[in-house]
Amino acid sequence: MTAANAVRVDRLSFRYPGSALTLNDVSFSIASGEIVGLVGPSGAGKSTLLQHLNGLLPTRLSESETNTWIDDIPVTRASLPDVRRRVGFLFQDPDDQLFCPTVFEDVAFGPLNLNLPDDEVRRRVQESLLAVGLSGYESRSTMRLSLGERKRVCLAGVFACQPSILALDEPFSSLDPRARRTLIGILKKFPGSQIVATHDLDVVVELCHRVLLLDGGQLRASGLTNDILGNAALMERHGLEVPLRLQPR
Amino acid sequence: MSDYLDRFGRDQSTCHRWPPLVKLYVAMGLILAATCAPITHGPLLGLIACAIFFVHSLARIPLAFVARRLFFFWPPLFLMALSLPLSQGCRAGWLMSATIICRGTLSFTTALWLVNVMPFDQLLATLRRLRLPSVFLAILALMYRFLFVLWDELDRMRTARQVRLFRKPSLWEQWQQGAQMLGRLLIRALDRADRVHGAMMARGWQGETRWLEQRQKDQR
Repeated sequence: MTAANAVRVDRLSFRYPGSALTLNDVSFSIASGEIVGLVGPSGAGKSTLLQHLNGLLPTRLSESETNTWIDDIPVTRASLPDVRRRVGFLFQDPDDQLFCPTVFEDVAFGPLNLNLPDDEVRRRVQESLLAVGLSGYESRSTMRLSLGERKRVCLAGVFACQPSILALDEPFSSLDPRARRTLIGILKKFPGSQIVATHDLDVVVELCHRVLLLDGGQLRASGLTNDILGNAALMERHGLEVPLRLQPR
Repeated sequence: MSDYLDRFGRDQSTCHRWPPLVKLYVAMGLILAATCAPITHGPLLGLIACAIFFVHSLARIPLAFVARRLFFFWPPLFLMALSLPLSQGCRAGWLMSATIICRGTLSFTTALWLVNVMPFDQLLATLRRLRLPSVFLAILALMYRFLFVLWDELDRMRTARQVRLFRKPSLWEQWQQGAQMLGRLLIRALDRADRVHGAMMARGWQGETRWLEQRQKDQR
Protein backbone atom coordinates (compact mmCIF):
# COMPACT_ATOMS: atom_id res chain seq x y z
CA MET A 1 0.00 0.00 0.00
CA THR A 2 1.37 3.43 -0.94
CA ALA A 3 1.17 6.18 1.65
CA ALA A 4 -0.70 9.33 0.62
CA ASN A 5 2.16 11.51 1.78
CA ALA A 6 5.65 10.40 0.94
CA VAL A 7 6.99 13.07 3.28
CA ARG A 8 5.24 14.96 6.03
CA VAL A 9 6.95 17.55 8.20
CA ASP A 10 4.94 19.19 10.94
CA ARG A 11 6.17 22.24 12.88
CA LEU A 12 9.81 21.22 12.72
CA SER A 13 12.28 23.46 14.54
CA PHE A 14 15.97 22.77 14.94
CA ARG A 15 19.00 24.54 16.31
CA TYR A 16 22.66 23.46 16.13
CA PRO A 17 24.37 23.69 19.52
CA GLY A 18 25.33 27.28 20.28
CA SER A 19 23.63 28.87 17.28
CA ALA A 20 20.33 30.49 16.36
CA LEU A 21 17.33 28.52 15.12
CA THR A 22 18.27 26.93 11.78
CA LEU A 23 14.74 25.65 11.16
CA ASN A 24 11.79 27.44 12.67
CA ASP A 25 8.34 25.89 12.66
CA VAL A 26 8.58 24.34 9.20
CA SER A 27 5.57 22.34 7.95
CA PHE A 28 4.92 20.80 4.53
CA SER A 29 4.11 17.54 2.84
CA ILE A 30 5.09 15.85 -0.41
CA ALA A 31 2.74 13.49 -2.21
CA SER A 32 3.87 10.19 -3.69
CA GLY A 33 5.55 10.68 -7.05
CA GLU A 34 5.78 14.45 -6.63
CA ILE A 35 8.99 16.36 -7.39
CA VAL A 36 9.45 19.36 -5.12
CA GLY A 37 12.14 22.02 -5.39
CA LEU A 38 13.58 23.43 -2.18
CA VAL A 39 14.93 26.89 -2.87
CA GLY A 40 16.26 29.74 -0.78
CA PRO A 41 19.38 31.81 -0.22
CA SER A 42 22.57 30.31 1.25
CA GLY A 43 22.18 29.53 4.95
CA ALA A 44 18.39 29.25 4.66
CA GLY A 45 18.42 25.76 6.23
CA LYS A 46 17.86 23.67 3.10
CA SER A 47 20.57 21.07 3.82
CA THR A 48 19.55 20.86 7.47
CA LEU A 49 15.95 20.21 6.47
CA LEU A 50 17.01 17.46 4.05
CA GLN A 51 19.10 15.80 6.74
CA HIS A 52 16.01 15.54 8.92
CA LEU A 53 14.24 13.57 6.22
CA ASN A 54 16.92 10.89 6.39
CA GLY A 55 17.14 10.92 10.17
CA LEU A 56 20.70 12.26 10.08
CA LEU A 57 19.68 15.00 12.48
CA PRO A 58 17.25 13.23 14.79
CA THR A 59 16.53 15.78 17.47
CA ARG A 60 13.32 14.06 18.47
CA LEU A 61 13.79 10.37 18.92
CA SER A 62 10.52 9.20 20.40
CA GLU A 63 7.37 8.70 18.39
CA SER A 64 5.34 11.19 20.41
CA GLU A 65 7.85 13.98 19.78
CA THR A 66 8.78 13.46 16.17
CA ASN A 67 7.99 16.11 13.56
CA THR A 68 8.86 14.10 10.47
CA TRP A 69 7.10 11.20 8.78
CA ILE A 70 8.32 9.22 5.78
CA ASP A 71 5.61 7.16 4.04
CA ASP A 72 3.58 7.74 7.23
CA ILE A 73 6.35 6.22 9.36
CA PRO A 74 7.50 8.55 12.15
CA VAL A 75 11.26 9.22 12.04
CA THR A 76 12.44 7.87 15.38
CA ARG A 77 15.55 6.07 16.51
CA ALA A 78 13.76 2.74 16.18
CA SER A 79 12.56 3.45 12.63
CA LEU A 80 15.87 4.83 11.31
CA PRO A 81 16.89 1.72 9.31
CA ASP A 82 13.49 1.63 7.62
CA VAL A 83 13.49 5.39 6.98
CA ARG A 84 16.98 5.32 5.49
CA ARG A 85 16.01 2.44 3.23
CA ARG A 86 13.14 4.55 1.89
CA VAL A 87 14.95 7.88 1.56
CA GLY A 88 17.95 8.06 -0.74
CA PHE A 89 20.15 10.99 0.20
CA LEU A 90 22.53 12.62 -2.28
CA PHE A 91 25.15 14.81 -0.61
CA GLN A 92 26.35 18.08 -2.05
CA ASP A 93 30.01 17.08 -2.22
CA PRO A 94 30.50 13.70 -3.94
CA ASP A 95 33.78 13.25 -2.08
CA ASP A 96 31.75 12.93 1.12
CA GLN A 97 29.67 10.16 -0.36
CA LEU A 98 32.24 8.13 -2.29
CA PHE A 99 34.28 6.50 0.42
CA CYS A 100 35.12 3.12 -1.13
CA PRO A 101 38.15 2.52 -3.36
CA THR A 102 36.22 1.36 -6.44
CA VAL A 103 32.93 2.26 -8.09
CA PHE A 104 31.62 -1.30 -7.61
CA GLU A 105 32.35 -1.33 -3.89
CA ASP A 106 30.80 2.07 -3.40
CA VAL A 107 27.57 1.28 -5.23
CA ALA A 108 27.38 -2.08 -3.43
CA PHE A 109 27.78 -0.44 0.00
CA GLY A 110 24.05 0.22 0.55
CA PRO A 111 22.73 -3.14 -0.73
CA LEU A 112 25.30 -4.98 1.42
CA ASN A 113 24.03 -3.08 4.45
CA LEU A 114 20.53 -4.21 3.52
CA ASN A 115 21.80 -7.80 3.96
CA LEU A 116 20.87 -8.73 0.41
CA PRO A 117 22.28 -11.94 -1.11
CA ASP A 118 25.48 -11.51 -3.13
CA ASP A 119 23.80 -12.13 -6.49
CA GLU A 120 21.13 -9.56 -5.76
CA VAL A 121 23.81 -7.02 -4.73
CA ARG A 122 25.65 -7.59 -8.02
CA ARG A 123 22.41 -7.27 -9.99
CA ARG A 124 21.53 -4.00 -8.27
CA VAL A 125 24.99 -2.58 -8.88
CA GLN A 126 24.74 -3.41 -12.58
CA GLU A 127 21.24 -1.97 -12.87
CA SER A 128 22.08 1.21 -10.98
CA LEU A 129 25.19 1.87 -13.03
CA LEU A 130 23.18 1.24 -16.18
CA ALA A 131 20.53 3.73 -14.99
CA VAL A 132 23.12 6.48 -14.58
CA GLY A 133 24.92 5.58 -17.82
CA LEU A 134 28.10 4.27 -16.22
CA SER A 135 28.06 0.59 -17.13
CA GLY A 136 31.60 -0.73 -17.34
CA TYR A 137 32.87 1.61 -14.63
CA GLU A 138 32.76 -1.08 -11.93
CA SER A 139 36.50 -1.47 -11.42
CA ARG A 140 37.33 2.23 -11.85
CA SER A 141 38.84 4.03 -8.87
CA THR A 142 36.45 6.51 -7.26
CA MET A 143 39.33 8.98 -7.10
CA ARG A 144 39.85 9.08 -10.84
CA LEU A 145 36.46 10.24 -12.03
CA SER A 146 35.27 13.61 -13.26
CA LEU A 147 32.92 15.58 -11.03
CA GLY A 148 29.93 14.68 -13.21
CA GLU A 149 30.86 10.99 -13.10
CA ARG A 150 31.34 11.13 -9.33
CA LYS A 151 27.86 12.63 -8.89
CA ARG A 152 26.38 9.90 -11.09
CA VAL A 153 28.20 7.18 -9.13
CA CYS A 154 26.78 8.72 -5.93
CA LEU A 155 23.33 8.58 -7.48
CA ALA A 156 23.90 4.95 -8.53
CA GLY A 157 24.80 4.20 -4.90
CA VAL A 158 21.50 5.75 -3.86
CA PHE A 159 19.51 3.95 -6.59
CA ALA A 160 21.03 0.60 -5.57
CA CYS A 161 19.12 0.84 -2.27
CA GLN A 162 15.89 1.23 -4.30
CA PRO A 163 14.51 4.13 -2.27
CA SER A 164 10.99 5.47 -2.79
CA ILE A 165 12.06 9.07 -2.08
CA LEU A 166 15.12 11.02 -3.18
CA ALA A 167 16.49 13.87 -1.07
CA LEU A 168 19.03 15.69 -3.23
CA ASP A 169 21.31 18.37 -1.83
CA GLU A 170 22.61 20.66 -4.59
CA PRO A 171 22.83 17.89 -7.18
CA PHE A 172 23.69 20.28 -10.03
CA SER A 173 26.36 22.42 -8.38
CA SER A 174 29.65 22.71 -10.32
CA LEU A 175 28.40 20.51 -13.18
CA ASP A 176 29.08 21.44 -16.78
CA PRO A 177 26.00 21.75 -19.05
CA ARG A 178 26.32 18.24 -20.48
CA ALA A 179 26.67 16.58 -17.05
CA ARG A 180 23.80 18.72 -15.77
CA ARG A 181 21.59 17.68 -18.69
CA THR A 182 22.47 14.00 -18.12
CA LEU A 183 21.58 14.26 -14.43
CA ILE A 184 18.24 15.96 -15.20
CA GLY A 185 17.43 13.10 -17.60
CA ILE A 186 18.24 10.50 -14.92
CA LEU A 187 16.12 12.25 -12.28
CA LYS A 188 13.17 12.61 -14.65
CA LYS A 189 13.10 8.84 -15.07
CA PHE A 190 13.02 8.16 -11.31
CA PRO A 191 9.50 6.97 -10.47
CA GLY A 192 9.33 8.02 -6.79
CA SER A 193 9.08 11.34 -4.95
CA GLN A 194 11.95 13.80 -4.97
CA ILE A 195 12.91 16.84 -2.96
CA VAL A 196 15.66 18.82 -4.66
CA ALA A 197 17.53 21.57 -2.79
CA THR A 198 19.25 23.76 -5.38
CA HIS A 199 20.24 27.25 -6.43
CA ASP A 200 19.76 26.32 -10.07
CA LEU A 201 16.26 27.71 -10.52
CA ASP A 202 16.08 26.96 -14.25
CA VAL A 203 16.42 23.28 -13.41
CA VAL A 204 13.69 23.65 -10.80
CA VAL A 205 11.38 25.07 -13.50
CA GLU A 206 12.17 22.11 -15.74
CA LEU A 207 12.06 19.36 -13.13
CA CYS A 208 9.80 20.26 -10.22
CA HIS A 209 6.02 20.27 -9.91
CA ARG A 210 6.07 22.39 -6.79
CA VAL A 211 8.43 24.67 -4.87
CA LEU A 212 9.12 25.34 -1.20
CA LEU A 213 10.86 28.64 -0.50
CA LEU A 214 12.91 28.60 2.67
CA ASP A 215 14.58 31.69 4.16
CA GLY A 216 15.99 32.26 7.62
CA GLY A 217 14.90 28.78 8.65
CA GLN A 218 11.23 29.50 7.90
CA LEU A 219 9.04 28.31 5.08
CA ARG A 220 8.15 31.59 3.37
CA ALA A 221 6.17 30.29 0.40
CA SER A 222 4.93 27.06 -1.10
CA GLY A 223 3.10 26.50 -4.37
CA LEU A 224 3.32 25.61 -8.02
CA THR A 225 6.76 26.14 -9.50
CA ASN A 226 5.84 28.86 -11.98
CA ASP A 227 3.70 30.74 -9.44
CA ILE A 228 6.48 30.95 -6.87
CA LEU A 229 9.54 31.37 -9.08
CA GLY A 230 7.70 33.77 -11.42
CA ASN A 231 6.81 36.12 -8.58
CA ALA A 232 9.55 38.74 -8.95
CA ALA A 233 8.70 40.64 -5.76
CA LEU A 234 8.72 37.46 -3.65
CA MET A 235 11.94 36.26 -5.19
CA GLU A 236 13.71 39.57 -4.68
CA ARG A 237 12.52 39.78 -1.08
CA HIS A 238 14.30 36.51 -0.35
CA GLY A 239 17.52 37.19 -2.20
CA LEU A 240 16.61 35.18 -5.31
CA GLU A 241 15.99 35.97 -8.97
CA VAL A 242 13.27 34.95 -11.37
CA PRO A 243 14.84 32.19 -13.48
CA LEU A 244 15.67 33.06 -17.09
CA ARG A 245 12.99 30.70 -18.42
CA LEU A 246 10.27 32.64 -16.61
CA GLN A 247 11.54 36.14 -17.36
CA PRO A 248 9.45 38.11 -19.89
CA ARG A 249 11.25 38.40 -23.24
CA MET B 1 47.64 13.94 -7.04
CA SER B 2 45.53 10.83 -6.48
CA ASP B 3 48.13 8.64 -8.22
CA TYR B 4 51.09 10.00 -6.26
CA LEU B 5 51.97 6.64 -4.73
CA ASP B 6 50.54 4.06 -7.13
CA ARG B 7 50.93 5.63 -10.56
CA PHE B 8 51.92 2.31 -12.16
CA GLY B 9 49.35 0.20 -10.30
CA ARG B 10 47.41 -0.76 -13.43
CA ASP B 11 50.34 -1.31 -15.81
CA GLN B 12 50.91 -4.67 -17.47
CA SER B 13 54.46 -5.78 -16.65
CA THR B 14 55.58 -9.27 -15.63
CA CYS B 15 55.15 -8.38 -11.96
CA HIS B 16 51.66 -6.99 -12.56
CA ARG B 17 50.62 -10.32 -14.03
CA TRP B 18 51.70 -12.33 -10.96
CA PRO B 19 48.81 -13.61 -8.81
CA PRO B 20 47.92 -11.10 -6.03
CA LEU B 21 48.94 -13.48 -3.25
CA VAL B 22 52.38 -14.02 -4.79
CA LYS B 23 52.95 -10.25 -4.97
CA LEU B 24 51.90 -9.86 -1.35
CA TYR B 25 54.15 -12.73 -0.18
CA VAL B 26 57.13 -11.37 -2.14
CA ALA B 27 56.65 -7.95 -0.53
CA MET B 28 56.20 -9.43 2.94
CA GLY B 29 59.28 -11.62 2.45
CA LEU B 30 61.44 -8.69 1.39
CA ILE B 31 60.23 -6.51 4.27
CA LEU B 32 60.78 -9.35 6.74
CA ALA B 33 64.29 -9.91 5.39
CA ALA B 34 65.07 -6.18 5.55
CA THR B 35 63.87 -5.85 9.12
CA CYS B 36 65.60 -9.01 10.36
CA ALA B 37 69.00 -8.48 8.73
CA PRO B 38 71.50 -7.01 11.22
CA ILE B 39 73.01 -3.70 10.21
CA THR B 40 76.51 -5.17 10.59
CA HIS B 41 75.83 -7.66 7.76
CA GLY B 42 76.47 -5.27 4.89
CA PRO B 43 76.56 -7.89 2.06
CA LEU B 44 73.20 -9.33 3.17
CA LEU B 45 71.58 -5.88 3.20
CA GLY B 46 73.12 -5.21 -0.21
CA LEU B 47 71.63 -8.45 -1.51
CA ILE B 48 68.16 -7.44 -0.23
CA ALA B 49 68.54 -3.99 -1.82
CA CYS B 50 69.50 -5.69 -5.11
CA ALA B 51 66.42 -7.92 -4.89
CA ILE B 52 64.19 -4.87 -4.35
CA PHE B 53 65.87 -3.07 -7.24
CA PHE B 54 65.34 -6.16 -9.39
CA VAL B 55 61.58 -6.39 -8.73
CA HIS B 56 61.24 -2.64 -9.36
CA SER B 57 62.99 -3.08 -12.73
CA LEU B 58 60.82 -6.08 -13.53
CA ALA B 59 57.74 -3.96 -12.83
CA ARG B 60 59.15 -1.16 -15.02
CA ILE B 61 58.87 1.40 -12.22
CA PRO B 62 61.23 4.29 -13.08
CA LEU B 63 64.06 4.92 -10.64
CA ALA B 64 63.30 8.67 -10.68
CA PHE B 65 59.77 7.94 -9.43
CA VAL B 66 61.14 5.91 -6.49
CA ALA B 67 63.77 8.55 -5.76
CA ARG B 68 61.22 11.36 -5.64
CA ARG B 69 59.01 9.41 -3.20
CA LEU B 70 62.04 8.64 -1.06
CA PHE B 71 62.82 12.34 -0.99
CA PHE B 72 59.51 12.86 0.84
CA PHE B 73 59.90 9.80 3.05
CA TRP B 74 63.45 10.44 4.22
CA PRO B 75 63.11 13.73 6.18
CA PRO B 76 60.83 12.32 8.93
CA LEU B 77 62.83 9.07 8.95
CA PHE B 78 66.14 10.90 9.31
CA LEU B 79 64.67 13.18 11.97
CA MET B 80 63.58 10.18 13.99
CA ALA B 81 66.87 8.32 13.42
CA LEU B 82 69.04 11.30 14.31
CA SER B 83 67.24 11.78 17.60
CA LEU B 84 68.54 8.42 18.81
CA PRO B 85 72.21 9.34 19.38
CA LEU B 86 70.93 12.14 21.61
CA SER B 87 68.90 9.80 23.80
CA GLN B 88 70.89 6.54 23.61
CA GLY B 89 74.46 7.79 23.71
CA CYS B 90 76.68 8.24 20.72
CA ARG B 91 78.05 4.76 19.95
CA ALA B 92 74.87 2.70 20.39
CA GLY B 93 72.75 5.58 19.11
CA TRP B 94 74.46 5.88 15.71
CA LEU B 95 74.20 2.16 15.15
CA MET B 96 70.47 2.29 15.88
CA SER B 97 70.09 5.32 13.61
CA ALA B 98 71.74 3.48 10.75
CA THR B 99 69.51 0.47 11.40
CA ILE B 100 66.34 2.58 11.31
CA ILE B 101 67.36 4.41 8.14
CA CYS B 102 68.39 1.21 6.39
CA ARG B 103 65.37 -0.87 7.37
CA GLY B 104 62.97 2.06 6.82
CA THR B 105 64.28 2.75 3.33
CA LEU B 106 64.23 -0.90 2.25
CA SER B 107 60.74 -1.46 3.67
CA PHE B 108 59.39 1.73 2.12
CA THR B 109 60.73 0.93 -1.33
CA THR B 110 59.26 -2.58 -1.07
CA ALA B 111 55.85 -1.20 -0.03
CA LEU B 112 56.09 1.28 -2.90
CA TRP B 113 56.73 -1.62 -5.28
CA LEU B 114 53.73 -3.48 -3.91
CA VAL B 115 51.24 -0.62 -4.38
CA ASN B 116 52.63 -0.06 -7.87
CA VAL B 117 52.15 -3.63 -9.03
CA MET B 118 48.79 -4.17 -7.38
CA PRO B 119 45.83 -1.77 -7.57
CA PHE B 120 44.67 -0.86 -4.08
CA ASP B 121 41.28 -2.56 -4.43
CA GLN B 122 43.11 -5.79 -5.36
CA LEU B 123 45.40 -5.36 -2.37
CA LEU B 124 42.37 -4.97 -0.08
CA ALA B 125 40.70 -8.02 -1.63
CA THR B 126 43.88 -10.04 -1.04
CA LEU B 127 44.11 -8.88 2.57
CA ARG B 128 40.46 -9.84 3.02
CA ARG B 129 41.33 -13.33 1.78
CA LEU B 130 44.00 -13.48 4.48
CA ARG B 131 41.18 -12.74 6.97
CA LEU B 132 42.55 -9.48 8.31
CA PRO B 133 40.04 -7.79 10.67
CA SER B 134 37.40 -5.88 8.71
CA VAL B 135 37.84 -2.78 10.90
CA PHE B 136 41.51 -2.64 9.93
CA LEU B 137 40.62 -3.02 6.25
CA ALA B 138 37.93 -0.33 6.49
CA ILE B 139 40.49 2.04 8.04
CA LEU B 140 42.94 1.25 5.24
CA ALA B 141 40.29 1.82 2.56
CA LEU B 142 39.15 5.12 4.05
CA MET B 143 42.73 6.29 4.57
CA TYR B 144 43.60 5.55 0.95
CA ARG B 145 40.42 7.26 -0.27
CA PHE B 146 40.72 10.44 1.78
CA LEU B 147 44.48 10.93 2.07
CA PHE B 148 44.54 12.51 -1.37
CA VAL B 149 41.29 14.43 -0.87
CA LEU B 150 42.92 16.09 2.14
CA TRP B 151 46.17 16.53 0.25
CA ASP B 152 44.25 18.33 -2.52
CA GLU B 153 42.54 20.47 0.11
CA LEU B 154 45.94 21.40 1.56
CA ASP B 155 47.12 22.20 -1.95
CA ARG B 156 44.15 24.53 -2.52
CA MET B 157 44.80 26.27 0.80
CA ARG B 158 48.46 26.70 -0.14
CA THR B 159 47.51 28.17 -3.53
CA ALA B 160 44.98 30.51 -1.89
CA ARG B 161 47.73 31.71 0.44
CA GLN B 162 50.26 32.15 -2.34
CA VAL B 163 47.99 34.31 -4.50
CA ARG B 164 47.72 36.76 -1.62
CA LEU B 165 51.41 36.74 -0.73
CA PHE B 166 52.97 39.84 -2.19
CA ARG B 167 56.42 39.32 -0.70
CA LYS B 168 58.58 36.39 0.23
CA PRO B 169 57.74 35.42 3.82
CA SER B 170 60.51 34.88 6.34
CA LEU B 171 61.30 31.36 7.49
CA TRP B 172 59.50 32.05 10.79
CA GLU B 173 56.40 33.28 8.93
CA GLN B 174 56.49 30.22 6.70
CA TRP B 175 56.53 27.92 9.72
CA GLN B 176 53.78 29.93 11.36
CA GLN B 177 51.54 29.88 8.29
CA GLY B 178 52.27 26.20 7.69
CA ALA B 179 51.21 25.36 11.23
CA GLN B 180 48.03 27.43 10.85
CA MET B 181 47.20 25.65 7.61
CA LEU B 182 47.70 22.24 9.19
CA GLY B 183 45.42 23.26 12.06
CA ARG B 184 42.74 24.38 9.62
CA LEU B 185 43.18 21.18 7.64
CA LEU B 186 42.61 19.16 10.81
CA ILE B 187 39.34 21.01 11.47
CA ARG B 188 38.24 20.52 7.86
CA ALA B 189 39.18 16.83 8.08
CA LEU B 190 37.02 16.47 11.20
CA ASP B 191 34.11 18.18 9.44
CA ARG B 192 34.54 15.92 6.44
CA ALA B 193 34.72 12.85 8.69
CA ASP B 194 31.39 13.93 10.13
CA ARG B 195 29.84 14.24 6.67
CA VAL B 196 31.29 10.91 5.51
CA HIS B 197 29.87 9.26 8.63
CA GLY B 198 26.48 10.79 7.77
CA ALA B 199 26.76 9.50 4.19
CA MET B 200 27.56 6.00 5.47
CA MET B 201 24.60 6.03 7.84
CA ALA B 202 22.33 7.33 5.08
CA ARG B 203 23.07 4.10 3.19
CA GLY B 204 22.27 1.84 6.09
CA TRP B 205 25.68 1.46 7.76
CA GLN B 206 25.28 0.38 11.37
CA GLY B 207 28.85 -0.09 12.46
CA GLU B 208 29.76 -3.27 10.62
CA THR B 209 31.65 -3.06 7.33
CA ARG B 210 30.63 -5.65 4.75
CA TRP B 211 32.57 -6.59 1.65
CA LEU B 212 31.69 -8.32 -1.55
CA GLU B 213 34.23 -9.24 -4.18
CA GLN B 214 33.44 -7.71 -7.53
CA ARG B 215 34.52 -10.68 -9.57
CA GLN B 216 35.40 -14.24 -8.81
CA LYS B 217 38.84 -13.73 -10.32
CA ASP B 218 39.68 -11.27 -7.52
CA GLN B 219 39.32 -14.14 -5.11
CA ARG B 220 41.97 -16.28 -6.75
